[in-house]
Amino acid sequence: MAEQPQPRQETMGPGERMGAILMRQRPDRVPFMPFIFGYCARNVGYPIAAVYNDPERSFWAQMWTAEMFGYDGGAMYGYASMGGWEFGGDIKMPVSEWEQAPVVTRFPAQTPEAVDALEIPDVATAGCYPIALEFAKIQQQFGMPIMVMGMSPFTSAGNISEVDILCRWMMKKPEVAHKLLKKVVIFGKKVIDHYMEAFPNYPMMAFTGEATSANQIISPKQFEEFVLPYMSELHDHILASGIRNIFCHICGEQNLNLKYWAQLEYGDPGILSFGHEVDMAKAVEVFGDKHAIAGNIEPQVIQNGTNQQVYELCKAAIDKAKMAPSGYLLMAGCEVPVQAPPYNIYVMKKAVMEHGFYD
Amino acid sequence: MATDARKKEILKGLYDAVVDFDEDKVVELSNAVLAEDVDAYEAIMDGLAAGMEHVGDLYANQEYFVPEVLMCSDALYAGLDILRPHLSGKEADVKGQVVIGTVEGDVHDIGKNLVKMMFDVAGFEVHDLGRDVKLEKFVEEQMKTDSEIVALSALMTTSMLAMPKVIEMIKARNPDAMIMVGGAPISQEVADNYGADGYAPNAANAVQEAIQMISRLREMGKA
Repeated sequence: MAEQPQPRQETMGPGERMGAILMRQRPDRVPFMPFIFGYCARNVGYPIAAVYNDPERSFWAQMWTAEMFGYDGGAMYGYASMGGWEFGGDIKMPVSEWEQAPVVTRFPAQTPEAVDALEIPDVATAGCYPIALEFAKIQQQFGMPIMVMGMSPFTSAGNISEVDILCRWMMKKPEVAHKLLKKVVIFGKKVIDHYMEAFPNYPMMAFTGEATSANQIISPKQFEEFVLPYMSELHDHILASGIRNIFCHICGEQNLNLKYWAQLEYGDPGILSFGHEVDMAKAVEVFGDKHAIAGNIEPQVIQNGTNQQVYELCKAAIDKAKMAPSGYLLMAGCEVPVQAPPYNIYVMKKAVMEHGFYD
Repeated sequence: MATDARKKEILKGLYDAVVDFDEDKVVELSNAVLAEDVDAYEAIMDGLAAGMEHVGDLYANQEYFVPEVLMCSDALYAGLDILRPHLSGKEADVKGQVVIGTVEGDVHDIGKNLVKMMFDVAGFEVHDLGRDVKLEKFVEEQMKTDSEIVALSALMTTSMLAMPKVIEMIKARNPDAMIMVGGAPISQEVADNYGADGYAPNAANAVQEAIQMISRLREMGKA
């Protein structure tokens, strides 16, 4: 019978561990940052929507859940369907037992004329940003770095027009798609500027990501035309503003797009997280010299799999990516589902404790 | 009346026009089908549907992506709108009925719409409930229409958990209803665990799976 690995003694706290990654130093062990939002609210007895519409409860639900499971990384604010509300549409907060994040219920620009008429919103009043800014104040109050929710041009454009309409514009009226994407980037840059003014000289990271640009939806050629230039412009602006690190979630099947993702700047270092579709060894090979790699435990398995399956996935990911030159963080491949069994999150930490130590 | 060679040319033209997402050409050729007395059913099945089947292969092989497939779908529907009113007799008989929708908690419907299109073109009567569909609505619609198939779609890991619940609800009311599931987080293993009768990894496979499910029902004398 194989000898069971024994948990090791931690010599760093979560802040030191994350700090080591950002300083390009080896932490005591692989950091564990599960990528978890709505779950935290449910975990502490709040409605899931509280993570998105109540900054105070959102912050504490995340902090208490981090304490409970002993994972690294604190609290951040954001969700995938941003853009629709911010540009004047409507969203619905998660209410039923089958929902875990806000969704757009009225898209603000579904015709070329509506795109023409779309005004760049005021960050202070746009959609979720008043909530996100309140959340940032709480992060500041507790001396934590602020994570700026930095928009994601292509995914946000899909949340403004609806994805199938954006896809049809890409084919028949590419000028309309480009016009919309330009407006999203202008707003995204204003978001960064607003945070820089609101929290001068305060440590910040920016979060960006892309789900709609996955190859389940668009081609690498379409990525090159409709995603790369806008993402690049936004990332360049973020870094020029003085933010040193971008946390970028490269969601879904992105294998055909990796060569384009590699053309972007992410800071020194960036943290790039991937879904289960991108192998951790491949991510390390393409990005690992310059940036920390995070990922890629399949959320469906975290939710529906056995704890042994989750543990094995974590062990395999750690084995592949632990020695990445710029560091590795164990993370879910996308948001941890709200109905995941708590024990499956516990075994993610257990895998880190048994296989994630350096030396 | 078109010659065999001309008929072949029109059907091939429809096939190519769907694959090339040339909606204008589909309209032109569909009108030619009517003007030149080509059989509308053949034009649909051997032209439009065959073209869409190839589009499914191109998507599976990552030569086409969702934007191209949506354009092909638009071209196909342009042809169906012209040709379908001219089906008659046995050809117009529906192959079966399907209730389709994205389950409660999930607003993503591109995949569901593509599956719906494949059912449409294959001659099914489709009862599309849309997206974020309350679970009871699937049960009610299946009972109301007596559809052989209920097709459930989910993109999110959270909303996929509604599937076993709605399967249980439908089966409790009508054990003979056949239920198929699909969507990004779904696999054959998940479908089996949920008690689904069928699983389709993509739109093209969905119709094939549905036809097999209906055949099973007919063998049992329940359809």
